[in-house]
Amino acid sequence: MNRKLITGNGAAAWGARLAMVDYIPAFPITPQTEIIETLANWIDRGEMQGKLVTLESEHSMITAAGAAASSGVRVFSATSSQGLLYGMEMLYNVAGWRVPMVLVNVSRGLAAPITLEPDHNDVMAARDSGFLQIHCATCQEVLDSVLLAHRLSEHEDVRLPVLVNQDGFYLSFTREPVDIPNPTAAKQFVGSYEEENLAFRASTPLSHAVAVLGGGPYSYFRYEIHLAAQQALTVYDELANEFRDFFGRHYPQIEAYRCDDADYVFVMIGSFATKAKEAVDRLREGGWNVGLMRPRLLRPFPRDNFVSLLQGKQAVAVIDQNLSMGMGGILHTELASALYGKPDMPAVLASFIGGLGGRDITTQEFFEMVTVLRKAVASGETPPPRLLFTHNEFREVEKLQAIAHVEREELGQH
Amino acid sequence: MNETILRRMKDLPSTHLLGTGTPMCAGCGGLEALHEIYDVLGSNTVFVNAAGCMTLLSVYPFTPFRGSWLYTAMASAPAGAQGVRDALDILKQQGRISEKEDLQVVTLTGDGSAYGMGLSATSGTIERNLDYLYICYDNEGYGNTGQQYSGATPHGAQTATSQGRTGFPGYKKDLFAIWVAHQPAYVATVIGAEPLDLARKIEKAKTIKGPRFILALAPCPTGWDYDPKDTVEIGKLAVKTGVWPLKEYVDGQVVHTKIPREREPVESYLKLQGRFRHLFEPVRNDRLIADIQTRIDHYWQSVSEA
Amino acid sequence: MYRVRFHGRGGQGMKTASRILGTAFFLEGYEVQDAPRYGAERRGAPIFAFVRASRSPINERGIIQQADLVIVADDSLIAVPAAGVLTGITNDTVLLIYSETDAQTWSSRLNLACTLIVLPADQAIVDPLQHHFVGTGCAGAAAQLLGVISREHLQQAIEQELVEHHRRIVVDKNIEYGLHAFDAMAAQKGCVKQGHPINLNNYQNPDWFTLPFEAARLAAPAIHAALTSEKSKTGLWRTMRPVIDYQRCNRCWWVCSTFCPDGAINVTTGNYPQIDYDHCKGCMVCVTQCPPHAILSVPETEAAKQKMEEAPA
Repeated sequence: MNRKLITGNGAAAWGARLAMVDYIPAFPITPQTEIIETLANWIDRGEMQGKLVTLESEHSMITAAGAAASSGVRVFSATSSQGLLYGMEMLYNVAGWRVPMVLVNVSRGLAAPITLEPDHNDVMAARDSGFLQIHCATCQEVLDSVLLAHRLSEHEDVRLPVLVNQDGFYLSFTREPVDIPNPTAAKQFVGSYEEENLAFRASTPLSHAVAVLGGGPYSYFRYEIHLAAQQALTVYDELANEFRDFFGRHYPQIEAYRCDDADYVFVMIGSFATKAKEAVDRLREGGWNVGLMRPRLLRPFPRDNFVSLLQGKQAVAVIDQNLSMGMGGILHTELASALYGKPDMPAVLASFIGGLGGRDITTQEFFEMVTVLRKAVASGETPPPRLLFTHNEFREVEKLQAIAHVEREELGQH
Repeated sequence: MNETILRRMKDLPSTHLLGTGTPMCAGCGGLEALHEIYDVLGSNTVFVNAAGCMTLLSVYPFTPFRGSWLYTAMASAPAGAQGVRDALDILKQQGRISEKEDLQVVTLTGDGSAYGMGLSATSGTIERNLDYLYICYDNEGYGNTGQQYSGATPHGAQTATSQGRTGFPGYKKDLFAIWVAHQPAYVATVIGAEPLDLARKIEKAKTIKGPRFILALAPCPTGWDYDPKDTVEIGKLAVKTGVWPLKEYVDGQVVHTKIPREREPVESYLKLQGRFRHLFEPVRNDRLIADIQTRIDHYWQSVSEA
Repeated sequence: MYRVRFHGRGGQGMKTASRILGTAFFLEGYEVQDAPRYGAERRGAPIFAFVRASRSPINERGIIQQADLVIVADDSLIAVPAAGVLTGITNDTVLLIYSETDAQTWSSRLNLACTLIVLPADQAIVDPLQHHFVGTGCAGAAAQLLGVISREHLQQAIEQELVEHHRRIVVDKNIEYGLHAFDAMAAQKGCVKQGHPINLNNYQNPDWFTLPFEAARLAAPAIHAALTSEKSKTGLWRTMRPVIDYQRCNRCWWVCSTFCPDGAINVTTGNYPQIDYDHCKGCMVCVTQCPPHAILSVPETEAAKQKMEEAPA
C-alpha cells in the first residue's frame, strides 16, 4: 500500500495522473492552482504522459477541453469559483456536446464581495449545466472520485462531463493520509479511452454541436441529457461496486453515517460534513439518536436513495453552504422537492445556512441544531431558516463598518 | 515556398466543395469568400465556429461541409481550435491515428467575434503559436442580429444602432495590424470579388505552419442595404477605391498584393450602399465624404512612402 | 487527538514546520491532518499552520481553536493581537516560544497558568527572518514535547519534507538543528497531553443572531472614505528597522522617500526624511538606496528599546 500525506489538490492531480489523461487545458486560480502546477511538473519531469496547455481564460479552457474531448482524447481540467463562472457558458455547451471529461472544482465563495475561502455557490451555479457532480469530503475521496468520474463520464450510457468538487483550504491545502492506488490497478479500472462515434477524422466527416431550429428537436436533445444524467445513477452504483472490488473503498451515492436507528439527521455536502460526523459521535455519546447523510452525487440527484434512507426519521437539518438569493438553501429546496408527497417522510425539514465564505461551523452549533430539531418535533412546527451567525460576528461587522464610514444611525443598536 | 500554380483565372477550381442548401442570405459576400477558400483548403478540414451568421451553415441535420465542423461559442472559437489541434497531435504522437486522418484546423468567425469578444482567445492562440488558420468574414457589423455596429464598422455607416445623420462615429479597428503586432506566421486580407488573389493567399497559407489569419471583407446585401446582384461589384469597388487594401504579412513583411493604379473616389463605393445613403440624401454631406476619402488617401500615401 | 498550532511570520517556514510534524506523526502510524492558513498577507505578516494527529480517523476540520500545543516561532508576535497567538490557550495548553528571553520572564509577563517552555533562540542571528531553521527547530522541539515521536522519525520527516526543494547542505543543517531542538527538550518529554472532544452536556450555546434587513446604503461592501488602509499597522510585519542618522543625511532629492514602495517616508519642511514606523514593513529599500548611507538597519527588538531620533526641524 502506498499511503502518503497529500493535499486535496495533490490528490486531484494524482487522480488525473492515474487516469492517464491525455490533455489538460489549464488556467491558474486560487485555491486550485497547485493541481495544475503539480501536473505540469510531473509532465516536465517525464513522470507523466499527457500535454498541459495554459489557456488565457477559463472560458477558453473549457472550450479547448470540450473540443479535445470531441477529437477523441481523455481530458482533465480544474478550476474554482470565479473561474467556473467565467467558463459557465461552455459548461452548458460541452455537456450538450455529449463528450466525456472531468473537471475538478475547488470550491470558493463568489464575488461580490470577492473572497478566497470556500462555500458552494460556485458549484451550485453549475448545477443545471449537464455536468454531473460528485462532492468529496476527504482528500482520499478526491483522488478516488477523479478515477470514478472518468469511468462515469465515459460510460456509453452516460457520455456527459463530470465535475468533482472539493472545498478550498479545508481540503485543497490540507494534507491527509491518502492511499495512492497502484498504477496498474488504476489503469485496469479506468481502461482506455473510447471516442465512440464522436471524433474529428479525415475519413469520417462530422459536424458537431450544430444549431437546431424549433423547440421539438431542441427538447429532444436537451431531455436526452437529462435522461443520460438519470442513467448515471445506476451506472454510478455499478462503478462504485467495481471500485470497491478493485481498491476496497466504497462510495455509495449517499454516505449514511449512523443513520439506521437515527431519529434526527444532518444533511450536508462536502468536507464540512466530516465536522457533522464528529458532532454525531459526540451526540451519540450523549444518548441522542443522530445521524448524517452526505450526498456524494448532487447531479444526478439521488432522490430515491434519499426517500428510502429518510423513511421514518423524525426530523432533518439541511445545512447549506450556499445561498439562493430570495429562496434560501439550495440543497434544502432540492430535498424538499424530492421528498414531497412520499409517504412516511420526516415531518420537520429545517434549513440552516452555514459556512459561507469559509465561516467555521462549530461542534456546539451542530448540538444546537439538534436542539432546534427536538423542539420542532415537539411543537410540530418547522422552524424558520437560520443563518449560522453569532451576535459577536455581527458586532465585528459593525466595527468594520465604522472604519468604512458606513453611517449607521442606530450604531450599536443590535 | 513553391511558386503558385494559380497563375490566372483559368487555374481556379471549376468544381466546388462547399455544399449548397445553406440558409445564408442570397448574395452573401461571406459565403462567396468561404466557398472560394474551401475549394483551395480542401475537405480535410475541421471548421471551429463562433456565434455569428455562419453558425447557421450547419443546422441539424444539414451541413454543407465535406469535412468536419464544431460550433463552440462567440468568445472562444480559437480555443476550440486549440483543443482540436492539440488532441490530433496527441493522437498522432501516440500512434492512435495515422497522418492520413489528420485535419487542417480552421477557425471561422464573423467580425463580431474576431474584432471583439473573441480577441483575447485569438491573442492567446497566437502567443502559443497554434498551428491553425483563422478565417474572419467581415461584414462590418453584428449581422446575424440585424447589423448593429461592431468594432469592424466603418466610420459614418448607418447600422441598427447608429441611425443618426452621421452614422457610426467610431473608426474601423485595424485587425490586420493587431494580428501583425503578434508576429504570427501569416496574415492576409482577401475579398471574394478578387478570387485569384484570394486563392493564391489560401494556397500559401495552407503550406505554412503556425497561426494564420485570413480577413475577408464580406459585402452584405442585408446589412449594407444593397441589391444582392451588386455583391461582386461592391467588392471590386472596395479594392479599386482603396477602401479594402489587399495585402499580406509573411516573413515579417507587409506586402500589398494589388495596388490600384488610379484609385477611384470612395464615393462610387459608398453610393451603392444604403448604409451610406445619408451621406448623399437628402443633402450631400461633403465634409463626411471628404473625411472618409482623406483617411483612405493617407493610408495609401503611407504605403507608397514605406 | 493532538491539536498543534504554529505561529510565525510569512517567510519563517511555518508551513514546512507543520508538514514536518505532520509527517513525523504519520511515520509513527498516526492519522494526520496538517495545513497552513494564509490569507492576503505577505512576507513578514503573521501566519499560522496547524496539525491534528490521532490514532483514529480525524473528522474535525479547519482552524484549531483550542490547541494542546501552541508554538511561537517569533516572540514579537505575542504582543500583536491580530496574530491570535494566545487564542484558546487553557491551563492544559503547552506554550513553546522560540526566544532569547527565558521562560520565567515570559510566564510573569503573560501571566498564564499554562506550561510555558522556551526554545532558546540563536543569539548570533540579528534578523528574525534570517532564522532559516526556526521552523524545523520548532517542529523538532514539538516532537519531543509530544513524547510520541521518535528521534529517527523526526529526522526522516525533516529529510522527506525538505529534500525535494533544498540543497543537501541545507537539508543536513535543518536535520542537525531539528534534532538539536528535539534533544534540548528532553527534560519536558511528553508534557503535551491530548485534548478532549467537546462535551455535549455543558456545551456553550452558540449565541446565534437573527440578521436583520439593512438597506444597501449600509449593506453594500463599500468604503465611504479615503485612506482607511492607514489603520492597518503594517509596521508589525517589520523585523528589521531602518533608522536615519540625521548627522549623515544630506537632504538629497529625498531618494529614500521616492523609492519607499509603501510611501512610508515623509519629507519634513526642512527636507529631512522621516520614517513612519507604524507602516514601514522593513523592506530596507531606503537603506540600500540612500546616497550617503545615512540609513542603518537595526533589529526591531533592539530598536524598540531606543528612543527614535526626530527629524531636525
